[in-house]
Amino acid sequence: MELLPPFHVATPGSIAAAVAAGQDHAASRFIAGGTDLMVNLRHGIGDPATLIDLRGIPELRHVSAEPDGLVIGAAVTLAELAEHPAVASRYPAIATAAAAVGAPAHRAAGTVGGNLCLDTRCIFYNRSAWWREANGFCLKYQGDTCHVAPTGKRCHAAFSGDLAPALLVHAAEIDIAGPGGVRRQPLAELYAEDGAAHLSLAPGEFLVRVVVAADPWPASYAKARARGAIDFPLAGVAVALRRSGEEVDGLRVALTGTNARPFLLAGTDALLGAPVSPAWLDRLGRLVQKQVSPMRTTLLAAQYRRRVAAALAQRLAATLGGLDAVGRAA
Amino acid sequence: MSQTAKRVRAFRLNGRAHEVLVADNVLLLDTLREALGLTGTKRGCDGGECGACTVLIDGTPRLACLTRTEECEGHGVETIEGLVENGRMSRLQRAFHERLGTQCGYCTPGMVMAAEGLLRRNPDPSAAEIRAALAGNICRCTGYVKIVEAIEDAARGAP
Amino acid sequence: MTVMRNTREVVGQPTPLIDGIEKVTGQAKYTADLPAAGALVGRILRSPFSHARILAIDTSAARALPGVRAVVTGDDCAFTYGVLPIAMNEYPLAREVVRYCGEPLAAVAAVDEATAAQAMRLIRLEVEELPAYYTAEAARAPDAVPLHANKPGNIERAVHHRFGDVEAGFAAADLVREQVYHCAEIAHGQMELNGALVEYDTARDQLTIWSTTQVPYYVHLMLSRCLEMDMSRIRVVKPFVGGGFGARVETLNFEIIAALLARAAGGKVRLLLSREETFLTHRGRPDTEVRLKLGMTRAGRLTACACEVVQRGGAYAGYGIVTILYAGSLLHGLYDIPAIAYDGWRVYANLPPCGAMRGHGSVDVRFAFEALLDSMAAEAGLDPFTVRRQNLLSAPTETQNGLRVESYGLDECLDWVERTSGWAARRGRLGPGRGLGMACSHYVSGAAKPIHWTGEPHAVVHLRLDFDGGITLLTGAADIGQGSSTVMAQAAAEVLGIRLDRVRVVAADSMLTPKDNGSYSSRVTFMVGNATIDAARALRAKLLAAAAEPLGVSAEAIECEHETFRRIGDDGPGLPFADIARAALAREGGAITAKGSFTCPVEFQGGKHKGGAVGSTMGFSYAAQVVEVAVDIDTGMVTVEQVWVAQDCGFAINPLAVEGQIQGAVWMGMGQAIGEETRYERGLALHGSLLDYRVPTIVESPPIALHIVESIDPNGPFGAKEASEGALAGFLPALVNAIADAIGLRIDTLPVTPDRLLEALAVRRREQRLARELAREQAHQQEGVV
Repeated sequence: MELLPPFHVATPGSIAAAVAAGQDHAASRFIAGGTDLMVNLRHGIGDPATLIDLRGIPELRHVSAEPDGLVIGAAVTLAELAEHPAVASRYPAIATAAAAVGAPAHRAAGTVGGNLCLDTRCIFYNRSAWWREANGFCLKYQGDTCHVAPTGKRCHAAFSGDLAPALLVHAAEIDIAGPGGVRRQPLAELYAEDGAAHLSLAPGEFLVRVVVAADPWPASYAKARARGAIDFPLAGVAVALRRSGEEVDGLRVALTGTNARPFLLAGTDALLGAPVSPAWLDRLGRLVQKQVSPMRTTLLAAQYRRRVAAALAQRLAATLGGLDAVGRAA
Repeated sequence: MSQTAKRVRAFRLNGRAHEVLVADNVLLLDTLREALGLTGTKRGCDGGECGACTVLIDGTPRLACLTRTEECEGHGVETIEGLVENGRMSRLQRAFHERLGTQCGYCTPGMVMAAEGLLRRNPDPSAAEIRAALAGNICRCTGYVKIVEAIEDAARGAP
Repeated sequence: MTVMRNTREVVGQPTPLIDGIEKVTGQAKYTADLPAAGALVGRILRSPFSHARILAIDTSAARALPGVRAVVTGDDCAFTYGVLPIAMNEYPLAREVVRYCGEPLAAVAAVDEATAAQAMRLIRLEVEELPAYYTAEAARAPDAVPLHANKPGNIERAVHHRFGDVEAGFAAADLVREQVYHCAEIAHGQMELNGALVEYDTARDQLTIWSTTQVPYYVHLMLSRCLEMDMSRIRVVKPFVGGGFGARVETLNFEIIAALLARAAGGKVRLLLSREETFLTHRGRPDTEVRLKLGMTRAGRLTACACEVVQRGGAYAGYGIVTILYAGSLLHGLYDIPAIAYDGWRVYANLPPCGAMRGHGSVDVRFAFEALLDSMAAEAGLDPFTVRRQNLLSAPTETQNGLRVESYGLDECLDWVERTSGWAARRGRLGPGRGLGMACSHYVSGAAKPIHWTGEPHAVVHLRLDFDGGITLLTGAADIGQGSSTVMAQAAAEVLGIRLDRVRVVAADSMLTPKDNGSYSSRVTFMVGNATIDAARALRAKLLAAAAEPLGVSAEAIECEHETFRRIGDDGPGLPFADIARAALAREGGAITAKGSFTCPVEFQGGKHKGGAVGSTMGFSYAAQVVEVAVDIDTGMVTVEQVWVAQDCGFAINPLAVEGQIQGAVWMGMGQAIGEETRYERGLALHGSLLDYRVPTIVESPPIALHIVESIDPNGPFGAKEASEGALAGFLPALVNAIADAIGLRIDTLPVTPDRLLEALAVRRREQRLARELAREQAHQQEGVV
């Protein structure tokens, strides 16, 4: 028998009931597929008295791909999203990112909200209770030192959800429900560059849906991982690129796996008004390398994640920009 | 042990109605193995890493080690034991046996259940589709070669 | 032993495993699946320290907790355990000093998981920390504190072997090259988690253990030693076992701890380890540095080899001495090399102990050898196949270190992989980022000299025939998924001329089955197979004798085929097996047990030099393989597109299982080559999950085309040799050789993870830039001079 904390599970059937459950149970956590949270609970991370399972709320379970845009319920599974015909055809970056998560059984359980609210990850954090105690715990949980950067005061655990960058490049917005009602905000504002507090959700708040505008820019997502499946991204990159003739007139690049939050690359405006060329790709690569800040939170080298993030961004932009290959020699 | 109150949870297990008295914090894996004696579903990792505990929930492959028993209320759970009908192995089980898709056998129940989920959805999968469907099931013995062959065999011999 | 029959009815036929149905239906009971109603829950308290003197372990509060039935510490067992009688320096629970993070310090048995967990929290440790060493280099530093007082410099064993005139060999070479290679430590990653179920009968002082073991006999020995129990009071049962790959050859601490708990609690204890704990128990392949120097003539003939190996063995002896000896010994036996010098050092460090892993000792050295040979072939302008063919052995022969080679099918292996891979037409012509590489490897069919010398045969098998006409084969050999029980059943059925399903195998229950030295070093098919043939012949003799009267001829003139006894040459109806079995039972006075045995003759037990027994065997398997890769120089990802492998296994008793073993071995080599490695943070394992220890998934695992070469070994059962280890080692060098073909970069460090590959490419670009700048500068200066 696996020893899990003695939680009980609430299964609200409406947003209002879920909000109320969140207020009734101070030490509660919202949960959906549980592919992240249940692993952490098995590792002795977290001790919630109540899990509030959001999957019984009908509004959270639907994908609607209407001409005026895409609305994805937070409890839609990653498998449902990846296989949704309209998503696959009109928002391929989103479908690709959803299909890149874990393995089929993870995607069959894991949800959009869960992947967007995924806990940050670190080689010093995603460990058994014995391990973390032997290591003196860490800044993110139960300790006061970040073993990645012991002199610092901030947690560097990396956000490792695949979906966020694909949604960020489509300028997605999210609806958040909480005691104050439902509010809409850009997805980008959900995140903060602090591995121990990377979500801006207030206590009792949860994700309801993601909204993506119609007529998305052409976009794609690519992920670097050591194996062909299961692994979290060492770096994940989404690029949305719109051209006018040969020239790029819209560019968004978003990254995951390299920082405590997924983020939109700043300064891409400087790349507008020119066609995608090897020199242009060099500039994009430098921009990525400058803004990502991978730390030693994975077993593969941080420097690799910097390099590969840039390489993937270049590769995606080259394809979207009509350049066949990056064409760099070994 | 946990102080969580136990509740009766009803679900279909291998086609038959079951009721179990279980606390909310008990994994489906433990209910199957310890309470119901269905030890065909294996534990191979500390949570979501290996696929050895793959079962079908409403026909879809899921990990029993990340699923709480209470989540199964009102749903249909199928395990490796449920594939045998009237003492006869299913076509997949037969193919895994005859094509040596199993060596030590420990990953086999999870592999077979993942493959079962695939074939119900896609009766004639390509090798690439087989690999994609079994991507979360780790095998340490076979190099996967004969697992792919076994599933191809089972699909070809499908009734 | 000679080949028994010309026609093969049962052996040589692809045969599904006789215990396969249980596996595919979920009915197979592994240790954790056994009924454990009423069993106490065992838990181990593990050290959070890498190296510390234990001042006190206070268990009083834990003992006082209601529901706790037993607490044991190092005080409860003053006996060391281990695999080599000369190197047992490990306690099941640390005493006085703890030497690695994760080493068991105490254990509890309680009525449930929560109580056991709470008891663990109540145990108080008081220690004085000692300096800890995590690399061989640090452990060998002059001022390093020895982990074990009797091993100064933290050297568990240094080996210095010289065969032939190495200096003369290098002097005679046209090309001499030296290179350092490094292979990360790896783990077996067997899918079944470690665990044991132990029942102690207090009234009778008897103990039964069901455990995840490859060698029940060693468990029996160590329980007897550590619990001071007469062996007759112990019963060891091996249920279904979910893989081993060497991890479960040694008796492991949790097995002894579970037994100590069961005795202390006076009942039944189930101790199941987590995945992390299974990694901490370890016994994997050590981190290894190989400095290799080879000499070669212009034609590709090897003239000399000098090899230095340093293995970081972890905190305890385990199999270490054997591993460091294998590393040198198996430089021999693959090619004809006139002179070989070997220096090996096995070093202690404050990490979980290493042990035996598939291809024990030989793999990392073979990687270095075949990689350097490839690079030298390129430098000499020779095809890698040509170089191998220049150095083939000719069987029968004896190597310089006293290893006998009686059969040798490497040339045929080379021919098949060269032809089938399209080597000649495709190599170097696959386009950017794609390449082909090849390599060879070999391995023993069982160690010819057993570790525990008792004067008994190396393998014993019983065949029992009783009134029901079924043949029960009793063997101590542990089927751990490799299919050994199936091979034994096939061998018996073949010799007896009966149906395979008339044979039922009872394996590895010390109360019922004869002692077996265990499932390691690929010994079972060869040794237990020969013992099975011997037993089957003995039983057949009794059956033929019983058939003589009804058939009216002497026993020598009778044969049994398809369960029918006839005069040889007669094609009449004959007499059915059931009739003859009844006659034999009457004649023999009831149930018949026929015994067979096998012993490796002393002339096969290796050279006379110290350590000469390691590597000795009656038959080497040989393998060659070609690997095709695609290298993505932007992401550093290496994709193995296809493998072609041929292995000489002597004779494939079960070709289906041989294929499975070869594919599995090649693939396990791939795991080591591209991704698997243990990692530690100040001694704490960072690889303790199947996320962090990257066993390949099905997605990146390639098709593996294979060919079985049957050289018919004169001593093997039906000519068979080993089939499950030999092909592993060749994958590693074939991969790096293919990468060299693809992108011109020679990798000397494994695994070739994408970060290492991109770093190596970056280093090469820097070096190329510097070289260009230097050349420009020189050209500039010369201009200035002019």
